[in-house]
Amino acid sequence: MFDGQAALRALIDHPLFCFALTLAAYQLALALYERTRWVVMQPVLLAMLMVIPVLLLCDIDFARYRDGTQLLSLFLGPATVALAVPLYLNLRRIRQLFWPVVLTLAIGGLFATLAGVGLAWWFGADEMVLMTLLPKSVTSPIAMLVAEQIGGVAALAAVFVLITGVLGAIFGPPLLSWIGVRHPAARGMALGITAHAVGTAQALQESEETGAFSALAMSVLGAATAILLPLAVLFLR
Amino acid sequence: MLLRGLTTLVLFQLLGSMLSALLLPMLPGAILGMLLLFVFLMLRREVGEPLSVAANSLLRYLPLLLVPPAVGVMVYAAAIWADAWAIVGALVVSLLLSLLFCGWLMQRLIERQQQEKHDV
Repeated sequence: MFDGQAALRALIDHPLFCFALTLAAYQLALALYERTRWVVMQPVLLAMLMVIPVLLLCDIDFARYRDGTQLLSLFLGPATVALAVPLYLNLRRIRQLFWPVVLTLAIGGLFATLAGVGLAWWFGADEMVLMTLLPKSVTSPIAMLVAEQIGGVAALAAVFVLITGVLGAIFGPPLLSWIGVRHPAARGMALGITAHAVGTAQALQESEETGAFSALAMSVLGAATAILLPLAVLFLR
Repeated sequence: MLLRGLTTLVLFQLLGSMLSALLLPMLPGAILGMLLLFVFLMLRREVGEPLSVAANSLLRYLPLLLVPPAVGVMVYAAAIWADAWAIVGALVVSLLLSLLFCGWLMQRLIERQQQEKHDV
């Protein structure tokens, strides 16, 4: 009488299944993160770890999942455009510490980018991985867009960004105190340049000034990476 | 309110995509859209209420928007495993080096700026 198999198929084959799965996994991940407040429990990472097994179990490949979640991916573009707003709002804060901010961003940003790729090259990673590692120091939407432009893998870039961010947020503050970096602006810049969004969230818990400089470093470095990195790769090839 | 701000964001994204196709194919449309909006805000000297509402709501859900691309990692699991040590080593060592370097550099520069102010 009741055909459980058919009902299950109707659920899995429904165009909204992947969308619902993503929404549910994200909210569960967010609830877990808020309950534990543990930096390792990054919602994106947790949600990803919940979605992938379900897809494998239901025999859904990534192409179908991508089609099913297009509703979400479409908004990634406007969300990137929206980053201009916090960037503009932070502009006033740069004025007081103009040269320290600009120099640290230029030298530190270049150092962070080159150190990652240089080490990976030295350890023997192939070109696809190298091109994906280049934008690892910036916030994920930009890193993903840039990785795709220069011949890396967007999804992989998101994972690298995430790993970098989580490690930076966990080990950054104690290490900075250990070498004697105490100025809130300096702590914020270091976290924003290397650990982007996750680092900024951590910086905000230290103080508002630390958070503001972290957000500033993150957005300026993100914009600069988006513009300069594809150009640099283009000229070096 | 939200809808008006969202329209502005989408318009800037579309403008950026057109500009990318016309002049700068190496830059993604969304990035150009962000730069255009930034220049627009500098000229206007304020963030309007609708735009601020839309930008805040979108950015609040940014992690959710990033879940589908992150799931794409399942396609590249084999490639990651092959280079796993290189990746982890590069990520951890470069993170620690650059984090400490940036913090130290910024603190030195701030101290120097304050010193100069003091001397004047």
